Amino acid sequence: MKVSPIDYAVISQALHAVANEMGAKLIRSAYSTILREARDGASALLDRFGNVVSQADLIPIQLGPIGMTIQPCLARYPAETLEEGDFLVSNDPYNGGQHLPDVFIFTPIFFEEKVIGFGASVAHHLDLGGGSPGLDTDATDIFQEGIRIPPSKYNMARDWNGGNFERLIEANVRVPDLTIGDFNAQFAANAVGAARVQQLCTKYGADAVCEVMQEFIAYSERRMRAAIQKVPNGVYYGEDAIDDDGVTDTPLPIKVRVEVKDEDIYVDFTGTCQQVMRNVNVPLSSTYAATLSCIKSVITSAGIPFNEGVKRPIHITVPPACLLHPVSPAPVRARLEGGYRAFGAIMKALSQAVPEQVIAPGFDTTTVICFSYHGEKGFQVNLEVFGGGYGASAIGDGCDAVDSPLSNCSNTPVEVMDIQCDYVRIVGYKLEPNSFGHGRFRGGAGFSRHYEVLRDGTKLAIYADRFRLQPGGIFGGTPALSGFCGIHRDGKLIKIGSKSSFDLRKGDVVEVFLGGGGGYGLPSQRDKGLVERDVAEELLSPDAAKKIYGLKTQPREKVVERV
Amino acid sequence: MRVGVEVGGTFTDLVAIDNDRIAITKVPSTPSAPEQGAFHAVSAAGLEVKGIKDFAHGSTVATNAILERKGAKIAFVTTAGFRDLLQLQRHDRRNIYNLQYQKPEPIVPRSGSFEVNERILPDGSVLTALSEADVIKNLVPALRAGSFRAVAVCLLNSYANSEHEEKLGKLLRSHLPGVSVTCSTEVVREFREYERASTTALSAYVQPVIAGYLSRFSQWLNDKTFDGQFTVMQSNGGLLPAEAMARSAITALFSGPAAGVVGAARLAALSGYRNLITFDMGGTSTDVSLVVDGEPSLATETEIDRLPLRTPVLDIVTVGAGGGSIVWIDDGGMLRVGPQSSGATPGPACYGKGGTLPTITDAHVVCGAIHPDTQLGGRIKVDLDAARKAFAPVAEALKLSIEEAAESAIRLANANIVRAIQLVSTERGRDPRDYVIVPFGGAGSLHATAVATDLGVDKVVVPPNPGVISAYGLLASDCVKHDSLTHRIRLNAEAPALVHKDFEKLRESLQRQMEEIGLGAPYEWTYGIDMRFVGQAFEVTVYFDYESIENLTQDEMERRFVDAHQRAFFHGAASKRAIEIICLRVAIRKKLATVPRLMREANTSEHFSDAPLFSDWKWNETKRLADGLLKIGESIKGPAVLHGTTATVLVGVGWSGHIDEQDNLILEKDKA
Repeated sequence: MKVSPIDYAVISQALHAVANEMGAKLIRSAYSTILREARDGASALLDRFGNVVSQADLIPIQLGPIGMTIQPCLARYPAETLEEGDFLVSNDPYNGGQHLPDVFIFTPIFFEEKVIGFGASVAHHLDLGGGSPGLDTDATDIFQEGIRIPPSKYNMARDWNGGNFERLIEANVRVPDLTIGDFNAQFAANAVGAARVQQLCTKYGADAVCEVMQEFIAYSERRMRAAIQKVPNGVYYGEDAIDDDGVTDTPLPIKVRVEVKDEDIYVDFTGTCQQVMRNVNVPLSSTYAATLSCIKSVITSAGIPFNEGVKRPIHITVPPACLLHPVSPAPVRARLEGGYRAFGAIMKALSQAVPEQVIAPGFDTTTVICFSYHGEKGFQVNLEVFGGGYGASAIGDGCDAVDSPLSNCSNTPVEVMDIQCDYVRIVGYKLEPNSFGHGRFRGGAGFSRHYEVLRDGTKLAIYADRFRLQPGGIFGGTPALSGFCGIHRDGKLIKIGSKSSFDLRKGDVVEVFLGGGGGYGLPSQRDKGLVERDVAEELLSPDAAKKIYGLKTQPREKVVERV
Repeated sequence: MRVGVEVGGTFTDLVAIDNDRIAITKVPSTPSAPEQGAFHAVSAAGLEVKGIKDFAHGSTVATNAILERKGAKIAFVTTAGFRDLLQLQRHDRRNIYNLQYQKPEPIVPRSGSFEVNERILPDGSVLTALSEADVIKNLVPALRAGSFRAVAVCLLNSYANSEHEEKLGKLLRSHLPGVSVTCSTEVVREFREYERASTTALSAYVQPVIAGYLSRFSQWLNDKTFDGQFTVMQSNGGLLPAEAMARSAITALFSGPAAGVVGAARLAALSGYRNLITFDMGGTSTDVSLVVDGEPSLATETEIDRLPLRTPVLDIVTVGAGGGSIVWIDDGGMLRVGPQSSGATPGPACYGKGGTLPTITDAHVVCGAIHPDTQLGGRIKVDLDAARKAFAPVAEALKLSIEEAAESAIRLANANIVRAIQLVSTERGRDPRDYVIVPFGGAGSLHATAVATDLGVDKVVVPPNPGVISAYGLLASDCVKHDSLTHRIRLNAEAPALVHKDFEKLRESLQRQMEEIGLGAPYEWTYGIDMRFVGQAFEVTVYFDYESIENLTQDEMERRFVDAHQRAFFHGAASKRAIEIICLRVAIRKKLATVPRLMREANTSEHFSDAPLFSDWKWNETKRLADGLLKIGESIKGPAVLHGTTATVLVGVGWSGHIDEQDNLILEKDKA
């Protein structure tokens, strides 16, 4: 290597900082609540071949395969043919993309008239058309899910700011103002990335920066391979299942064979069920992202930068037309549910190899709740993304009420909902005691959110999972509670399916219940102090403490203070 | 006489200024009872308490109470349905691939959180009224039973209407005497309930701690028949009389770093430098900040122990690069510096106190910037062999010589500092080349010319006695109070009048507060308006001075906002989108009559042999002087080293320096 160790360290850390700055600016200047409050977006820097060099610490599922998303764009529009102002864009699940709402934009970074890399950003757009505002749970093919942008090249000056591409998008979405604003935030994030990389090139030279990009990828690969070498060689099997496809009651099994061989891992999903007619199919790039996220999280320290190098020692086989590699035109909107089951199946396989490093199944589900209302203000769409409790580990309880491993969305503050949304109001948001699995360490607690409906004609659409099949425990830990969504109306609770929609009335209260994570190890091995703490914190009922952990609780004495 | 005492983690610094005489004292801190260290500093300096006119104090008491969770037993009260606000937080993870991720530990546990029936809407209207009977029947007994010493109240949408919080606060105070009650609207009137609740809880938590600490301090001063003014530093870079601070404890956080920035800003301003990048490099970390037109920049969002805080604090970014930061090679073969630090014990290898891991201080010893004859802190004799030995494994791994490895480590530490500076400058839309660098702290002046070179900055201003700038800053700060008000206003022709009315309200309230604590006119005012494009969630604060507020127009607000937005976010300038105002901010400032000067020490006794310096991958002939030997008007050409008692100044290759009339050392990059 020509670059000195110190220049290498400095430039590589600067590249990582650039990706993070891009991400922060994407979120902070965005318009829709899904991007600005829930932070459902990501950013990365790519080398000129389209390999991920560094990425912002945002949403794992969107980040892992950015390199796969740009490749079909580059195949059609090679880097050397691009001109200043050009950008590449795609949301096509059947051409390296994920699901339609996630629009990937790649901006070439020029230095001395040559492309030296790409600034990449992806944002989950609130509504990109399709059969229903925000989310069409009944879609039976991808055409009903919204506008599809195949790998394309446009030019900012010609096609945006009133140009043809912008007008095409505007004409096909229900909340154009927010959507165009979020596109602008993406363009700007990419421009920030380009400016910073150009500054680095001015200082160190483009050759040095490009060399460091390659070395940074090699560095992650080295560290990844070193980590794989510590995993015992062998063949491990795992399995998990999605509740159902939203039409029938049949679980959809996902099977995996994981072979660890020296410093490579071979993952094979043969045996997984066939693709289905509803939106839980998982495009190939999402399957890759889930696989990489799971393996990296389990076997490496969090400090290894995620880039193309992490991918190189991992070899993934997915038979076409199965749930994890659907062929067009299968709908894919709820692809994360299958992604999580792939994640869970691999976790189970690895639990045989590295039992101390895995965690128990968490609630591990993306629950998307979409309220919409069409009235005097036009379309209003509100989308929220929820996780649940994390699975317990060998060293501690699972995290309570947090987004699941493949995603990382924030909640929308109640006060923001109060300002933005005049058709539903949040009337409750709380941790759910006893919702987690028990064990030496317990799973994270789940939570619930309650919405009061303020207007007739409000629509609810949901996709979720784990309404039937609970998150299990491992090594003797017990399962956690499953989730549900119900409407309190006239003193009754109407439970709805995990992938469904519902017409609401004023006065309805919608309850969304997100389950906890599974336990790790035998409950009998749990530290008594932790059980007492959970009882004192009212997260564990005294009855459950007695039944599961054999804890006898004294009725708490009332402390009477002298005033 | 004016005395500033700054209690830090390791040392307690004192600066006393009386006309042209100054006294500087450093004593070890006493973390279990920090006031003892401060008292000790006063007696070690041989000061007569009775003769002190101004006694300004800064300490880590509030910060430590939170970091070590040594605050009061505290309860949290919120709107029914939302008891778990502090536990639920924002539902995100800061580390996306860590399966064992844990949220930051909330200040109030679930068992200390309570609900009350009420709901206010964002327009200020009442949906569900607060029932006094309900509070007395249910909440008060529950709080009494828990023997809480402090209660934090944060009700939904209270920023729009504080009526319920005020009523509840009054009820709790009257029924729970001796319990300190803090309502969110007294601390921060901004939307987003988790962040406001967190700020309120943090404030309530440290309130009794600060009140107790300051009362012990005042008692000691009174016992010594002190009859001057006792003031305390705040995180916003201003002082407050101690009795006022006992009621607004949250602003005592981060007061040490804030005092340092103010001190550096005042000293540089004496020489006419008003746009600065300050960096305070100590043992474990470096604090970086931006000063614009003489005033340190403010941040309205920060966090402590990963918990959000929404009171204005100086915009300071901290990186784990200090003298004690450990140099290491990670398992991918990359050179790393920090964030682990050798701490006070064992300290760097060159201290000879048992440390074997290489640190940045050791790197300076290897490269010769810290001379083997130096007595660090006046006591520790440096051990060159130990420093070289510590660097041997790093050198071997990188296939470099020992001094090359040491220089690489220094350069990487510089890069980390540069990175932090970019966060407060480039990423905020400011070009660092428009600023001069002002280093301070024990190690800042060793890195300043290199950091400046990396940033393309060609001037560095090293203040006298860079090791005690925080304590000096206490003597150079004004009394300041901030207030803000969330009020959503569409930016149109009517907006200026509405903004005026709100500012008037804030001004009246702030002026009353200042008068109550005995600080009369004249005042100086700063105004900030948080704006965003309609639909966005995050605002950009634009600051205005008094005159522009008087003549505020829609056009001017628009122009300033769009410009700031474009600079930070790379878009907005061409936008035709509507703009809205979200929050109005006012700061009131009672100016210090005169800014005292800090003089260079007169130490000329020590002699240093002209040992070479390893820099730019080679050994260079280097001039060495005791800091006090360079006289006003004299200049020195780099590479050169000035050895002072509180810090060492390294004048890099290609830089020259001179002492100006204000006793600042001005370093300039030689013209190419």
